[in-house]
Amino acid sequence: MTPNTLNRRTFLSSQGLGLGAVALHAMLQNETLGGNAAPLADRSGTDRWTGLSDVRHHPAKAKRVIYLYMSGGPSHLETFDYKPKLDQLNGQPMPESFTKGQPIAQLQGQQLKVQGHMTGFRQYGQSGQWISDFLPWHGKFVDDIAIIRSMVTDQINHDPAHTMMNTGTALSGRPSMGSWITYGLGSEAEDLPGFVVMTSFAGRNPQPISQRMWGNGFLPGRFQGVEFNASGDPVNYLRNPTGVTSEQQRRLVDSVANLDRHRNLQFHRPDIETRISQYEMAFRMQSSVPELMDISEEPKEVLELYGATPGDGSFASNCLTARRLAERGVRFIQLYHRDWDHHGDLVKYMNMCCGATDRATWALLTDLKRRGMLDDTLIVWGGEFGRTPMFQGKGGPGRDHHIKGFSMWMAGGGIKGGVSHGATDELGYNSVEDVVHVRDMHATMLHLLGIDHEQFSVRFQGLDARLTGVEPAAPIRSILM
Amino acid sequence: MSLTIKCQLSLVRIVRKKVASSHNGDSASHPFWLWLFSLSMSLLIMRPTLASEKPDFNRDVRPILADKCFSCHGPDQKHREAELRLDAEDSARPDGIIVPGHSEKSRMIERILTSDPETHMPPAKTGKTLSEKEVQVLRNWIDTGAEFAPHWAYVAPKESSPPSQSVGANFIDFYVAKEQSKRNLKSSPPADHRTLIRRLSFDLAGLPASIDDLKKFQDAGPGKSTADYVETLLSSDHFGERMAVFWLDLVRYADTVGYHGDQDHQSSPYRDYVIDAFNRNVPFDQFTREQLAGDLLEGAGDDQKAASCYNRLLQTSHEGGVQAKEYLAIYQADRVRNVSAVWLGATMGCSQCHDHKFDPYTTKDFYSLAAFFADVDEERHLKGEGGDNIPTKRPPEVPVQTWRERVRIDALKAEIQQLEKAPVNAARDERLKDARRRLESLEKNRRLVMVTQALKEPRTIRVLPRGNWLDDSGEIVTPAIPQFLGSVSVNRRATRLDLANWLTDPHQGVGGLTARVFVNRVWALFFGAGLCRSLDDFGGQGESPDHPELLDALALDFIRSGWDVKHLVRTIVLSQTYQQSSQETPELLERDPDNRMLTRQAHWRLPAEFVRDTALSVSGLLNEEIGGPSVHPYQPEGYYRHLNFPKREYAADKDARQWRRGVYVHWQRQFIHPMMKAFDAPSREECTAQRPRSNTPLAALVLLNDPTFLECARGLADRVLAVEGQSDAERIRDAYRIVLCREPDDFEAKTLLELLAAERQEFSDSPADATSMLTAGIAPQHANDPVEAAAWTSVARALLNLSETYLRD
Repeated sequence: MTPNTLNRRTFLSSQGLGLGAVALHAMLQNETLGGNAAPLADRSGTDRWTGLSDVRHHPAKAKRVIYLYMSGGPSHLETFDYKPKLDQLNGQPMPESFTKGQPIAQLQGQQLKVQGHMTGFRQYGQSGQWISDFLPWHGKFVDDIAIIRSMVTDQINHDPAHTMMNTGTALSGRPSMGSWITYGLGSEAEDLPGFVVMTSFAGRNPQPISQRMWGNGFLPGRFQGVEFNASGDPVNYLRNPTGVTSEQQRRLVDSVANLDRHRNLQFHRPDIETRISQYEMAFRMQSSVPELMDISEEPKEVLELYGATPGDGSFASNCLTARRLAERGVRFIQLYHRDWDHHGDLVKYMNMCCGATDRATWALLTDLKRRGMLDDTLIVWGGEFGRTPMFQGKGGPGRDHHIKGFSMWMAGGGIKGGVSHGATDELGYNSVEDVVHVRDMHATMLHLLGIDHEQFSVRFQGLDARLTGVEPAAPIRSILM
Repeated sequence: MSLTIKCQLSLVRIVRKKVASSHNGDSASHPFWLWLFSLSMSLLIMRPTLASEKPDFNRDVRPILADKCFSCHGPDQKHREAELRLDAEDSARPDGIIVPGHSEKSRMIERILTSDPETHMPPAKTGKTLSEKEVQVLRNWIDTGAEFAPHWAYVAPKESSPPSQSVGANFIDFYVAKEQSKRNLKSSPPADHRTLIRRLSFDLAGLPASIDDLKKFQDAGPGKSTADYVETLLSSDHFGERMAVFWLDLVRYADTVGYHGDQDHQSSPYRDYVIDAFNRNVPFDQFTREQLAGDLLEGAGDDQKAASCYNRLLQTSHEGGVQAKEYLAIYQADRVRNVSAVWLGATMGCSQCHDHKFDPYTTKDFYSLAAFFADVDEERHLKGEGGDNIPTKRPPEVPVQTWRERVRIDALKAEIQQLEKAPVNAARDERLKDARRRLESLEKNRRLVMVTQALKEPRTIRVLPRGNWLDDSGEIVTPAIPQFLGSVSVNRRATRLDLANWLTDPHQGVGGLTARVFVNRVWALFFGAGLCRSLDDFGGQGESPDHPELLDALALDFIRSGWDVKHLVRTIVLSQTYQQSSQETPELLERDPDNRMLTRQAHWRLPAEFVRDTALSVSGLLNEEIGGPSVHPYQPEGYYRHLNFPKREYAADKDARQWRRGVYVHWQRQFIHPMMKAFDAPSREECTAQRPRSNTPLAALVLLNDPTFLECARGLADRVLAVEGQSDAERIRDAYRIVLCREPDDFEAKTLLELLAAERQEFSDSPADATSMLTAGIAPQHANDPVEAAAWTSVARALLNLSETYLRD
């Protein structure tokens, strides 16, 4: 069968086994909308997805995303949002003008009082941005990042807030941002999935996190985030069965391919070739993923830069792995650090969280920069929400969930360094200036990748579903280069 | 017409080449090609219509208007521009917007054709454009009278006399042939026996047919054999298991709460109720009533209680800091989405915040539908009664016995009575003791299930402006069905039972629509696609059916049969349309590319559960027990490490539960079993009407390396080695018969013999590897020689990795 007829067949079959077919079916449905067109033909001759041909709406500044997901909700008031007035009112009742009629999580029914900053702040860099003393390493790269101090989200509990931050809505069943992006842009990685997730935690009893956060929703399964495990098999079922050597596995995969191809001489089903190529990829992943995950081959100097110990499953090791994934063409890399839910003993846990992440984050930016990769890699740092200016005391002083104002930052691919955007009020409660919704953050990310968020849609249940949903959203222009 | 399609195809070919050749550059610099491409594709996916036909509003015109115009000129009152509504006749015609008979005088066409960006429709900011073909359809439609018609799905199914045809087994074939003959197409020849019985067995039981089935089938002789085989399958308990997989996706059945800590909740008796209901052939209207309102039925017993768990299957949370008011709002919206999706094929989710843009569902409809469920007792877990335990509590929960358990109890009681009358001796005493012990254990081990209990005072339900649960300014609503579909006429507050009755009443309610939605989904189980392709959307943005008369005929037949599901299934699978070959010839691919005219059967990879079941079945390990608590297959270590409250330790079953069917596998919403996920099983957080079918390296890794599949390969090898005195070639033949119901050809036999020889060599060289390979799983190993067993396990692995093994065609 010539490649041409193969293409055409793949194209026309919408009820076969082929993933290509499924994706195409979805796209064919889109076609009637004049929406996204067909995928670009494959470069490698394997079945690698190279994205849709018409979502590159303008030149991209970023080729890939490394999303440092600070899961649990880091306190903006102990990281990036300095409010002298908060210290002045420390211990006094929280003015009701702020809190009346507002959604509240664990502080429901309790007396609300102001909790001053639990650490000092100082200015760093040329830009003189205020950074808390929990994050001294951030001070070193403050001129590379754009801090958004006016984030808002809709969801005040962890699970729905994570879903909102990752999929743009609190409803289950929608694709995560990484899935959207790999669907739209495909992957440049030959032997790796286009969307990789890694997690870490450093000791606190962490909040749960669901697979939904990197799920493909209604997009085809190949766009799901694949979790790489720091210990055990790096990917589920990656290891050969015990007693089976790599040569035997090769022989098995070849026999299966030969038998499948032979049978297909009678049926000419194009999805068989797709399946064979997926087996090839699976086989290659069996060696490429362990190789990728083995950071012990990195020079000592690099390991020291990150503070990474091979095999420790730390955020630092994940950051180093993220760089390796980025080098290999993975499109969307998401690192969850799961310790940030500080209802009580905030100081202790901030020391723990920042200790685990601050330096490694600096190392990642530094390493990417010296390799010339920061220019086309977008880094995003942030959690699912922030924390209340009000005191909560589960153990030592802490803060409750807060959605009306919190901070995130972006850096790299197309982002202006050393700037900040937006502001909360004098107590860090409400975002009041240049408010940025989760949707706007998503729009910004897509924009930097060359995608107009309004024109990037998939037909689902009768709607043109978008990552940014139906409410207005816009890229944050002021932080773009 | 065939000529047109051909032209389009060659165009696609050219364009495809063009796009392919441009991919290294910036493809966006070829907008013309892309435009052509997208135009040709939009023509391609349209149903092959006949050039001579006058445009049909629902089939040809409405899809264009719905897609390009309704978002500003449709049912959503708040966002309607210029007070123009194009979804209904009287509102569209004024002011010369549409002048029937005269497209050239119609302002609608003028605005579409104008080059003035200020007045051009659709506006550039919508990103929508009309193709030349679409404009032509609109013009033809206006020129031929601009007749509007109500949306097809909201019109009751119409009786039509089946076309008189001399060919075919039943009315399905008559309708299909009628549409085909208009286009000079015809169905494919019948599938061969082997393909047919494999198809039937996969479709009706979710399990592979055996070579014995094939032999019996061929011995029974033509005609009778198929009908007999179908009856055998319909009366097997596996039918219920198979149908449950489909139903449980719709109602989002799972073993865990879904949100936050994702703790286990008590739901497995509901799953067993569904299996039993399909096996007992509970009429679909009754099935509906028992699930929505089992608690309100007179004489409600355990079955109805278990069924009423339907109202409790949604995702819930007791995360620290949840507000009951917010979560009750989340729950009621979840319920409206699910009820409307499952029974009405509607996408009412949109109207939680605003009137639906494409269908006449209003926000008030959304909350009025929610009000039917305002009496569901479910607040207690939000107020401290949930707990971070496995299982957690979701009161009210009650202990129940499933129908099957009761049948077993009755049988045991009868047995005990018999034995008590029998002469006393040691054997009798032993049997009696055993029977009494089993009876006691069955009677004692009632499983808890979350049930629906009606509160005395239903919660007050308000319209939540823009879906905002903090906003109490919306009007208070009482239970009511969507207004444009009529009303439930009772002189009291309407109940969930009224809703269930309305859904299944073809005269006073929307029974016709419900029947269509259901038969269409059942059809899709057996053809891979529905008669209406959008299984989840019968609204304005969905597709209209390719065979509307057939869909109506099936729906009406289903209602007339007393909502008899087995009758429906039997009717479909006994048609020639079902039994034809799935072979795609180049001619069929050109003339009926998307198989909308049903000129062949379809082929697909089995759903996740049946992939598992097939491997277990051919390995001889399958445990055919029906029902019971969910089971825990092997799972990668640490897979649940992101779960917390409490932390989860996964304990794989260490007994025969390890080999139970996929439908019983523990469904952890946040982390469904990785094998299930790799084969596209949904998380069951929301209604899934059609699973995608992907083809990924992760699925390949499962079949290659998941211990379950290795254990199955070991079992299959054991089976093949159990027959003594066979040659290698004979054993390979046996393996092919077991797995694929056929003999290998020379190439296949040779390939596997070579693999066998190489593996034998490998394992002889390192026998420790052979021993180590045979440790996979807990199934006993019967073959004595580890090297032989391991080498044959490798051959079995090859068979369990073949595409054909999991192919339903």
